[in-house]
Amino acid sequence: MNRGVWAALAAILCSITQISPLRAETGVTDDTIRIGVFAPLSGSALLFGKGLIGVDAYYRSVNESGGINGRKIELVREDDGCDPAKGIAAIKKLIGDDNVFMIHGGMCSNVVMAGLPEITRAGIPYMDIAAAASQISNPIRPNVFQPLPNTGVVGRTMIDFAMTKPNARKIAIVSHSDEWGKSNHDPAVARLKEKYNLEPVADLALERGSTDATPQILKLRNAGADVIVLLLYPAEAAIFVRDAMKYGVKTPMLCSQGTSLAEIEERVGTPDAVANVYTFSALAGALDGPEMAPWRDMVAKYFPQQRPEEAVFNGIGGAIAVVDALKLAGRDLTREGFIAALNKTTALKTGVLSVPITFTPTEHAGVSSGGMMTLVGGKTVLVASWPVGK
Amino acid sequence: MFAQLFISGLSNGSIYALAALGMTVLFRATTVVNFGFGEMFMAGAFVVYVLLKIVGLSYIVAALGACVVLFGLGAVIELGLMRRMENAPHLSLAMMTIAISFLLKGIARVFWGREVLPMPPIFNMPPLEFGDVIVTAQDLVIGGATLALVIVFLLVFRFSWLGKIAQAASQTPRGAALVGLNVPKFRCTIWAVSAAMGAFGGILVAPVTLLYPDMGGQTLTRAFAAMTLGGFGNLGGAVVGGLAMGVIEQMVGGYVDTSLIDVAGYIVIIAVLLLRPTGLFGRKELVRV
Repeated sequence: MNRGVWAALAAILCSITQISPLRAETGVTDDTIRIGVFAPLSGSALLFGKGLIGVDAYYRSVNESGGINGRKIELVREDDGCDPAKGIAAIKKLIGDDNVFMIHGGMCSNVVMAGLPEITRAGIPYMDIAAAASQISNPIRPNVFQPLPNTGVVGRTMIDFAMTKPNARKIAIVSHSDEWGKSNHDPAVARLKEKYNLEPVADLALERGSTDATPQILKLRNAGADVIVLLLYPAEAAIFVRDAMKYGVKTPMLCSQGTSLAEIEERVGTPDAVANVYTFSALAGALDGPEMAPWRDMVAKYFPQQRPEEAVFNGIGGAIAVVDALKLAGRDLTREGFIAALNKTTALKTGVLSVPITFTPTEHAGVSSGGMMTLVGGKTVLVASWPVGK
Repeated sequence: MFAQLFISGLSNGSIYALAALGMTVLFRATTVVNFGFGEMFMAGAFVVYVLLKIVGLSYIVAALGACVVLFGLGAVIELGLMRRMENAPHLSLAMMTIAISFLLKGIARVFWGREVLPMPPIFNMPPLEFGDVIVTAQDLVIGGATLALVIVFLLVFRFSWLGKIAQAASQTPRGAALVGLNVPKFRCTIWAVSAAMGAFGGILVAPVTLLYPDMGGQTLTRAFAAMTLGGFGNLGGAVVGGLAMGVIEQMVGGYVDTSLIDVAGYIVIIAVLLLRPTGLFGRKELVRV
């Protein structure tokens, strides 16, 4: 056969076997890396979509600084409405239609859990934004990474912190009875029992959408708790704190991740409201403090209408880990290379989180602790144990 | 604890009663159950918020403005939507009100979907203490307003010519028209009044519930349950039903289990309806043929 025929056969063989030296990775071009993001962009859960703002802002700043290895990040956004069915559709679209290189998304744990089979099946690298269910990273999936404290970490940290209060023995817990509440509640109760050999002095429910916490407050008043651990969403936490003030309950209250002192104070309407309140935080410092200044400025630059709120900044650590791994994976970027680079993330100091991020091939829950924000001397500070004199 | 739970139950129940009352007024006059009433609550509260915080009006002017805006909205809904369907089955009318509910919610989410906003109370006073029982000024205002409204509407529907028109227009619109009553104008007015009541309720309630686009949903569910418990179409029954729901929830939460608060009222409703299908104060409808 002549050379032309051999060349044609070789081309056909290469296209069939896809052994082309010029094969490009999905979602990667000479000058772009396409990253799919999904979050609540509409509907009743739009409130929870704020984490995407910080992630978006960070990627824009990276692009403005020249990108990564000569490529800029291109974001493709899909709305999951915090609904599992919508979330699965969004993920499938990102993978099948939008052909993204990786997915960085998820604010609602129910959506991420529903979408994990599809993500796992596709083998696409996935970085969580702020969905905190511990089942996302446990059991470990090779391509799934969770860069913030999950609900198990939050629950245990809050109990450990409560027990640093001098002479604390009676810990009360108030939680939602939905999946999110349970995923915080169960590790907290287990921690109290296993490490401190204690049962909650009161274990109460306050449902999503509640506008009154009178029965819970009265029961807690009778129980004489030393610390009240509130595993509640931000609005319900504010209502609880308001009603605690109304009934003169001054017991210290610990609030879960995603709740901020400033928001509670604003919603309750009095500065005294947060005098005895502590909120779990993964961030490096108070929102108005010097540690968070560069991040506030970054978000304000690209989203000037957005108020600085904790939820906005929680996902930035994961974005930093993504960019770090993309740099490490090099110009010859593949999904496998990117995942391998993520698994080499060791004590990555993001500057936005108080604890460095570490991923290994056997551990994809990247952040194992956090601190508590509280007012000390009129200023919001991050503390690791009970402040002296409070 | 019993006294506090009871008072708190009446306070929460007043919110349900206020919503149930607004829905019952419309139902009495038009036989339409307005599933968008919760969103009229919400819309009224957001209008006050905008007039107060953004336009900078005083509270009373903002509240009056919100009632006027919602009065207009109610009239527009009747003129533009409900009137075109006046001969449609009740199910279709109900579906239209559900669509209105989603429309209002969707509009609010465009502007405030990411927010849960505090609404300043009407009176910024510390809670009042009566022995061991604590009551806020807002609780008293909501309770007083509910009581005042139910008395007004009871008197109107029972003793005034307007009440007679309402009964005639709802039971036999054709007959009412034949005797010279302007039934469409009356219905438009009632929709407008009901929407304004929703605004009034939202203004009172938002300081308690916080202000967000979905704030009307929970209230609507409980208001509907209150109407069912009290007897559909019965003004006093709607209020009693609402108050009963509030007290039952608090008592179950305080003495049984806090996780049962959300379902307690509905269990009672099931029980009541099994024994008395027309509700506590409802009457069987008699039709002369």
